[in-house]
Amino acid sequence: MTEGQRTPKAFVIDEPKPQAKTAEPAKRKPRAITGITFEPEPDDMALLVVPPKPPAPSRSMRWGGILLGALASLVSLWAGLAVTQLVEEFFARSAVLGWLALGVAAIAGLAALAIIFREVWALARLSRIEHIQADAAHALNTDDSSTAKRAVAQLQSLYAARADARLGLQDLKQYNADIIDGRDRVKLAERHLVSPRDDEAHRIIAHAARRVTLLTTVTPTAALDILLVAALNLRMMREVATLYGGRPSLLATLRLARMVLGHLAVTGGLALSDNLLQHVVGKGLLGRLSARLGEGAVNGILTARVGLAARDVCRPIPQETSAKETLGSLIRELVSEAGELKTE
Amino acid sequence: MAAGGLADFATGLVSPSVRLGVTGLSRAGKTVFITALVHTLLKGGRVPAFEAMAQGRIIRCYLEPQPDDTLARFGYESHLAALSGKDRHWPESTSRISQLRITAEYEPRGLIARNFGSGKLHIDIVDYPGEWLLDLPLMQMSFAEWSAATVAASRVAPRLAMAEEWHRMLASLDPLAPADEQQAIAAAAVFTAYLARCRKDDVSLSTLPPGRFLMPGDFAGSPLLAFSPLGIPPSTELPRRSLGALMQRRYDSYVATIVKPFFFGHFARLDRQIVLVDTLTALNAGAGAVNDLQHALTQILTCFRQGSNSVVSSLFGRRIDRILFAATKADLLHHTSHDKLENILKLIVEEAMTRAEYAGAEIDAAALAAIRATREASVKQKGETLECIAGIPLAGETLGASNFDGETEAAIFPGDLPAEAHGALDGSLAGSLRFIRFRPPLMKDGAFPHIRLDRAMEFLLGDRFA
Repeated sequence: MTEGQRTPKAFVIDEPKPQAKTAEPAKRKPRAITGITFEPEPDDMALLVVPPKPPAPSRSMRWGGILLGALASLVSLWAGLAVTQLVEEFFARSAVLGWLALGVAAIAGLAALAIIFREVWALARLSRIEHIQADAAHALNTDDSSTAKRAVAQLQSLYAARADARLGLQDLKQYNADIIDGRDRVKLAERHLVSPRDDEAHRIIAHAARRVTLLTTVTPTAALDILLVAALNLRMMREVATLYGGRPSLLATLRLARMVLGHLAVTGGLALSDNLLQHVVGKGLLGRLSARLGEGAVNGILTARVGLAARDVCRPIPQETSAKETLGSLIRELVSEAGELKTE
Repeated sequence: MAAGGLADFATGLVSPSVRLGVTGLSRAGKTVFITALVHTLLKGGRVPAFEAMAQGRIIRCYLEPQPDDTLARFGYESHLAALSGKDRHWPESTSRISQLRITAEYEPRGLIARNFGSGKLHIDIVDYPGEWLLDLPLMQMSFAEWSAATVAASRVAPRLAMAEEWHRMLASLDPLAPADEQQAIAAAAVFTAYLARCRKDDVSLSTLPPGRFLMPGDFAGSPLLAFSPLGIPPSTELPRRSLGALMQRRYDSYVATIVKPFFFGHFARLDRQIVLVDTLTALNAGAGAVNDLQHALTQILTCFRQGSNSVVSSLFGRRIDRILFAATKADLLHHTSHDKLENILKLIVEEAMTRAEYAGAEIDAAALAAIRATREASVKQKGETLECIAGIPLAGETLGASNFDGETEAAIFPGDLPAEAHGALDGSLAGSLRFIRFRPPLMKDGAFPHIRLDRAMEFLLGDRFA
């Protein structure tokens, strides 16, 4: 008998508890209450409008991070020192100049704070949209009404300050107290608040794709191409994000770009058919007409794909049924435009 | 039936129509559901979940002249009058079959449908006494089988107490004796009285065939209804001219001339079905009534053709491709209990649901109130918060020491539904639930308040407005 031989055993993983009866609360007797005045039910939607905190970064500390942090603090220390010295020098020369310099420095500091605050806020808003997306998807999938109520309340507060959502909010508000199931409530909110923006998103994406096509066709060098395409794509992403309720600032835009790229990577299955399409459009028909125009069309298609990914990332309620706005329709629009461009 | 299917297919090409089967035992709320549905389609209302209407794609709806000249028209106007105004009351129970056709003009969504479709949809709805549904299982039973099953069921509680008189009658009948018309009529009368007693509110049993005994329609006094079950084993040869043979002949012609035409005329060609289940009245009466309801519904629902449609099946008799199981009168409960009610409903129709799903039909279950008679309120009493419903209870309803006169408003706490649906069937609930019926509500902005009627409409009709 070898040493590693082990006998079979059974383990009871979760032993059932013997007294399950006591845990059950006593059944309450039916009863009638008369002679009372009725107060309206409190609207429990009001309790749920707490914006969720952005998720804490869970990354462990790395040496690179420490290096960057240390360098950044060194630079800010140096900047502080430089500014202090500068102000002191001014004071040494004349009090008026000193006060002036101090005032300007204070204004600069205030502006820097405001920018930091705005960045943080924008990031929080972006992650709030992510939360709404997750809740809405959960509610759509499981028909859970408490998640749906939370998602819709969040969505309402997200759009509360926007003039273009006022009508939808007003329409939606009248259903707050109604008995509606989770899935239906999310769909209702989508119809009133989100769907009206889809056409505009389509326009933004199509517009950006057209511009990219045109600019790639006419720019003389490849390096300039890349810059232009990147800039236009970033701009389109920001426009789409703003449309659906985000406030993209610098950091938020970078994060958005990362999310969009991540989304593109995840939905890579789609890319296979696209590649084929790009082949036909880029090297084939349009390529025959003009090599530059073919390249332009390919870049346009890329932009359209990025735009659709950005829309998926930014749309607070995941698109379920009306996925009419596919890449195909955008490309068709694009190619017909390009054809016109050539003939002109 | 195949010919009917072919005809349906041909007319469906020209003018699309959907036959909506509203299925439910008596007092399940068929008439109220149909009235509310028709009223909503005609006059609009708060239906956020019914997309075609919420998006404004339904241009107008109107009632067509009755297409079938041999059927009575559903009295939508009179039911609506009964439900509104100062003396509003729930409609009387239905005593005959009636039909209504609504035509909806809508804006199709697809490009092809917009340009080539008619943009019209006919919705056919049939109303009938729920008692008659109980006859459907008889199509698969012989007289002797039915006799044996009925007699066996009457020998156990809760029916035993109701059946005393009939059992005495049964003992005095000799199936093999020469036929005697008067004896048959007397036996039928006693049997009918037994069925009627079983239906009373405090027992609320459901499996009470033959349905025409309780709601004869045009057949009152006809020899077709002069028969009753006999105490015979399931496989008995009855000699000619005996009492048993007479009863058997009448039973067979009852099935052939009443049940089958009713079924094939109205139920065999349905497109969509909603099964209304009055779970709360059964819960009021106790576990016996709930079990009986489950038995009755399971038997009835096996008679329907359910499943997804293919090209062939739509040529030769369509199948029901969407079924909604609805627990009606959900307004007698606070909405926090609706999920529990849905679970009890799912348990009651479990077998039928599984069968339909297996056949490929789309199914859904919902707690529904086509007309919502109550509001919600919460009452704090002795430190505990009770989720109540408030409304005007019907005159004559009682709860504990309170008697209601039909004028005063009251908040009712009906008791806690069991967290586990099985609690509704095993009798552990005895006496812990009491559901009070309320007067119909006043219309608000020309529409009745409702609970999930829009969800039901979306599920049953929504895709036909695409």
